Amino acid sequence: MAAATTDDTGLRKGRFAPYGLLSPGILWLLLFFLVPVVMLVKASLSTKPSRFAEPEFAWDFSNYTAALSEYSPEFIRSFLYAGIATVLAILIGYPLAYWIATCGGRWKNFLIGLVVVPFFTSYLIRTIAWTSILQDDGVVTGLYQLLPWVGSDGRILATPMAVVGGLTYNFISFMILPIYVSLEKIDFRLTEAAADLGCAPWRAFRKVVLPLSLPGIFAGSLLVFIPAAGDYLNARYLGSPQTSMIGTVVQNKFLVQFDYPQAAALSLVLMVIITVMVLVYSRFLGTEGLAV
Amino acid sequence: MTNRVTRRRFLVSTAALGGLAAGSTALAACGGSEESGSSTTAAGGGGAAANTLTFDNWTLYIDKPNDDLFGEGGTLAEFQKATGIEVEYTEGINDNNELFAKIQPLLSKGDPIGSTIIAPTFWMAGRLLQLGWLDKLPLAEIPNAANLIPSLQDPPSDPTGEYSLPWQSGMAGIAYNKAITGRELTTMDDMWDPAFNGKIGMLTEMRDTIGLIALSLGIDLADPDSQDYQPAFAKLEEEVANGQIRQFTGNDYVDDLEQGNFAACIGWSGDVAQLSVSNPDIKFVVPESGGTLWFDTMVIPKGSTAEQIEAAGKFMNFVYDPVNAARITEFVQYISPVQGVQEELRKMGGEAATLADNQLLFPNASTLARLQTWGTLSVEKEQQMDEEFARISGA
Repeated sequence: MAAATTDDTGLRKGRFAPYGLLSPGILWLLLFFLVPVVMLVKASLSTKPSRFAEPEFAWDFSNYTAALSEYSPEFIRSFLYAGIATVLAILIGYPLAYWIATCGGRWKNFLIGLVVVPFFTSYLIRTIAWTSILQDDGVVTGLYQLLPWVGSDGRILATPMAVVGGLTYNFISFMILPIYVSLEKIDFRLTEAAADLGCAPWRAFRKVVLPLSLPGIFAGSLLVFIPAAGDYLNARYLGSPQTSMIGTVVQNKFLVQFDYPQAAALSLVLMVIITVMVLVYSRFLGTEGLAV
Repeated sequence: MTNRVTRRRFLVSTAALGGLAAGSTALAACGGSEESGSSTTAAGGGGAAANTLTFDNWTLYIDKPNDDLFGEGGTLAEFQKATGIEVEYTEGINDNNELFAKIQPLLSKGDPIGSTIIAPTFWMAGRLLQLGWLDKLPLAEIPNAANLIPSLQDPPSDPTGEYSLPWQSGMAGIAYNKAITGRELTTMDDMWDPAFNGKIGMLTEMRDTIGLIALSLGIDLADPDSQDYQPAFAKLEEEVANGQIRQFTGNDYVDDLEQGNFAACIGWSGDVAQLSVSNPDIKFVVPESGGTLWFDTMVIPKGSTAEQIEAAGKFMNFVYDPVNAARITEFVQYISPVQGVQEELRKMGGEAATLADNQLLFPNASTLARLQTWGTLSVEKEQQMDEEFARISGA
């Protein structure tokens, strides 16, 4: 027995070393993820005896039913806008990342740097800048009004189009970077091999390059969709009362109405829906591909 | 006024922007003593030193000679010269509700908030008073309080006048861009003209938006608990639903008006006074049915020492001297709550004298008669109206 224990210590050291190495990360998650989520859950099940009183914990599930029944249009709109923005980001970002990865040559790092340059300005300023670019008397709106189905009353600001456009613009870098990374790693001699085996270029792209870059698309979609679904600034500055998103409601509940319980419930419902959507999405694209 | 931005002013405003209240007070303290040459005790973040006073206010709300809060001839520097009290002035207030969210956790536990004077809008001051979070003003230190203009004496938010003293005041009315409307606007019905569909803005400030609509429907604001504002909400909802109203904004309506996104909107007199200098097409009118008169008001939240409160009294007395009040008005261009400012501006001559005849700063009797100030809403009624307003404005 005694001999076995001495042998064990060496083994045990090896067993616990990974946890020791992980401890900063685990501590971080405990402090900045788990604790806030527990507090949020607690707040979401609380009631307030009066408007300016502290919330009291009461297993009150009515916050959830109210959140779902009153704000389903905002939820649907958030996921719709975020979904469209994600698809647009793929459609715009993929060709750009592909071009940088394949034709960038020695300019690659410089070009990727350009993709990140907008982040040197504050997110708020970038969003408000669009109100100047898209103003009703501006050049862009003037050109837009020339389209046959628009007419001279047409406007871009304060429409769903402007909100989706703002979301796409603000988050597209998060799509381009992971796609670029996954494309960069592809050995493009594979496409030559495909051509040798009689594959047309488009088919070689579809059968070889696209599957290999799926992990990038998957990561990029999460990085665009999740913040876009919870965003409120684009809806606030580029939208109208008809385009409000769930982030707008949460912000108002927290800061104007001091209705912390319902704001917490809304935030948790948003988290749960996003988690479910991500799980479903990952079954289609396969997270194991992320290891590539 | 030059556009020179001193390093310290830059630091102060950057720090305030970052919400680093403690940092900015410390910087202000350093800068103040550096410039005045006196060696008053620099206070820590709490401002506990005997001869310092902490004042948290809205941005661009006091005179800045040479773009510098403490510059030569500025109110804060003059006050220090006169009393030896150094003011740690911060520009940390951006929004009444935000301010409340920030100070509520402290005041509800009886902790000091780090500022002796703050200047919330009257209704927020009324809320703080109702919650029992304010100290009485040291009126014995403030003989100049007698200079308060009659229309702002003993307001419903502070019926005895013992807890608050107005800082600046202003009107909410119709702001419009004549280049877009092509005509003068005079009534709220002009805002609902189908020709301006999708070109009308409303304020996110519930009292101003609902107030103007309610007045246009003949509903009074002075005693709100006895009134039913449902018709005003219904009208607002109708105009949102038919697309007449494009957006609900804060101060950023100023850009929308200039860029032609709004033909007209509900706006504040002080903003338009400054805008119309560069763009004469931008105009302000109090609608015939009436506009709202609001004021931001100095209050002392609980938690300050007797010495700090005394210093606050001395400061209030100083800014209620018409000479000092006129200097502030010349810069901020809102309605001054202090009697005698108009005469002082005339005496100053030049550009200041033209302000004395500006209707937006000194509204005439017929305009004043059309203005109403909101009475105090009960907690329940305010909550219900806030919720209804949020629902309609899409928040």
